[in-house]
Amino acid sequence: MAGVSLNNVVKRFGDFEIIHGASLDITDGEFVVFVGPSGCGKSTLLRMIAGLEDISGGEIAIGGKVMNDVEPADRGIAMVFQSYALYPHMSVEQNLSFGLRMNGNPKADTDRRVKRASEILRITELMARRPRQLSGGQRQRVAIGRAIVREPQVFLFDEPLSNLDAELRVQMRVEISRLHKELGTTMIYVTHDQIEAMTLADRIVVLRGGHVEQIGRPLDLYSDPDNQFVAGFVGSPKMNFITARVLERGASGVTVELAGGTRLTQPLKGPAPEPGSKVVVGVRPEHFGHAGKGDADLSVTIDVVEHLGGTSFLYASTAAGDDIVIQRDAAEVSDAPEITVSVRKSYLFDDKGRRLR
Amino acid sequence: MRYQNATAYRFLAPYLLIFSIFWLWPIIDSFLISFQATRTVPWRFAPGFNWGRLIGDPAFFNALKNTLLILVIQVPVMITLAIVMAVLLNSPLLKARGLFRFAFFAPVVVGEVAYSAVFRLMFNLDYGIINKLLNSVGLPSIDWFSNVTPAMAVIMIAVTWRWAGYNAIILLAGLQSIPQDVYEAATLDRVSKVKQFFYITLPLLKPIIVFCAVLSIIGTMQLFTEPFLITERGGPGGGTETLGLLLYRQGFRSLNFGYASAIAYTMAGLAIAISLVQLWLTREPK
Repeated sequence: MAGVSLNNVVKRFGDFEIIHGASLDITDGEFVVFVGPSGCGKSTLLRMIAGLEDISGGEIAIGGKVMNDVEPADRGIAMVFQSYALYPHMSVEQNLSFGLRMNGNPKADTDRRVKRASEILRITELMARRPRQLSGGQRQRVAIGRAIVREPQVFLFDEPLSNLDAELRVQMRVEISRLHKELGTTMIYVTHDQIEAMTLADRIVVLRGGHVEQIGRPLDLYSDPDNQFVAGFVGSPKMNFITARVLERGASGVTVELAGGTRLTQPLKGPAPEPGSKVVVGVRPEHFGHAGKGDADLSVTIDVVEHLGGTSFLYASTAAGDDIVIQRDAAEVSDAPEITVSVRKSYLFDDKGRRLR
Repeated sequence: MRYQNATAYRFLAPYLLIFSIFWLWPIIDSFLISFQATRTVPWRFAPGFNWGRLIGDPAFFNALKNTLLILVIQVPVMITLAIVMAVLLNSPLLKARGLFRFAFFAPVVVGEVAYSAVFRLMFNLDYGIINKLLNSVGLPSIDWFSNVTPAMAVIMIAVTWRWAGYNAIILLAGLQSIPQDVYEAATLDRVSKVKQFFYITLPLLKPIIVFCAVLSIIGTMQLFTEPFLITERGGPGGGTETLGLLLYRQGFRSLNFGYASAIAYTMAGLAIAISLVQLWLTREPK
């Protein structure tokens, strides 16, 4: 087992820079998830760790050893691909043992490793089948099994669940979590699905446009985002953003006026923007309360109500035209077309999306 | 539904009519002709006349031997060459890939007569470039068209030159359909490029290789142009006469259509039989 450290890692394709100096320390046995929208560079960063992409600048070390010029097979990693990348003409057993057989690994040891992997993943009854005879979930298990037999120091997962249906995704998510507990090996997992990131990770790395936006534990990212992008990306439904204008800075914080006239005062330790400048107030759907029970009241027009059973989501718009989502207990939802809600907790961002604390 | 079907068939009728007259009927009629004695007019029904002659005709067995010899040697060599060319064409290291793809495919586009003439010149005893090259490395000139073995070699080289690139392009399409991440997984498994070729590329390319082999077998069974034009009607002395050429000689020079039809059906039957054996030998395990 080993930790992984990235030191100012840069990736360029020709003149085009994809990763702009990513730095990160992953401790031994940690489960780290790279999350971000399509094209943010998360898969590229993972492939650079694997050695499938060259490193244009900076250093990648695994187990304290710099790996920049080390062959992928010598890095002590195993990778699970999004498309599984199983060998279609080989049985499950052959898929698992192929790498070991090709490298002259003793047969007894190969058999032992294959047996262990198949038992961990509960695929012993599938060993004679070909990949095309397996379901998506079974294929994914085999792909993970192929990584396990390598007994790597670090597991790399490249969006492994994105080809599965919703139900299977949840099931496999639990399986991967169980696997991490069982093996205790360092795992780096790439996904664009923030729910996967929140449920699996010890720490999440949020990427955007090749930049690391924030690194932290899932609940820290949720409750204390560094910027508007992270605030919006983590959490489902996403955080509501309401445009506002700074009125004044007082002893108790900064007072802003939301479009529509509602005033809100936020405690602030750092410098406040100039009065009159534009800011964004972020409110999570669950942080809207009943009128009069929060920091400020807001009148909204309900457009659509989604009942999910115990919880309902109210899709509404403010007088100024900001679309917002309000989370309510199903029993509390009325048919009124217009309601007043209170803001119980909010976040403030400047016009560049930086958090104002 | 039945009415709709009838309407559809009415629309198809012109095509079906032309197809029946010019394609289906000749196939059936030639089969019937193969059971008739056609050397004298009027033709008469004599089932054993042509088919019986086939069994004992040395010219037929000579043509069959030549055809099978070309098939057994040329097809495997050409397919192997085509695989190598396809792999090279698929290499990311190759520059001007489009140009090479066109260059390899171009021989198919060249007119048969033109390319045959060029091959005759290239292999000419006195001033052909091949003999000049042999001489330049101290080897004696070869009289390519007066001896059977060199003449057969010229035909095999010509056919290979013409069709290897065509097969390479088909195989290239097969190569490009193999997902890249399978190779990446193998790279992470420390499997060398050579082993990747033999254990991943070749098995995954097998259906395409079989397809190319079957196409080539059918093509070689019908081989006509090269022995007709390059070695001048199967020369020397029938040494390169193929079944296609024998068919032509019997049908259109001796006007013995019954025997020519029997040869044609034998060629088709052999092509089907060999292709089926090939498919059976390379079938996917269940």
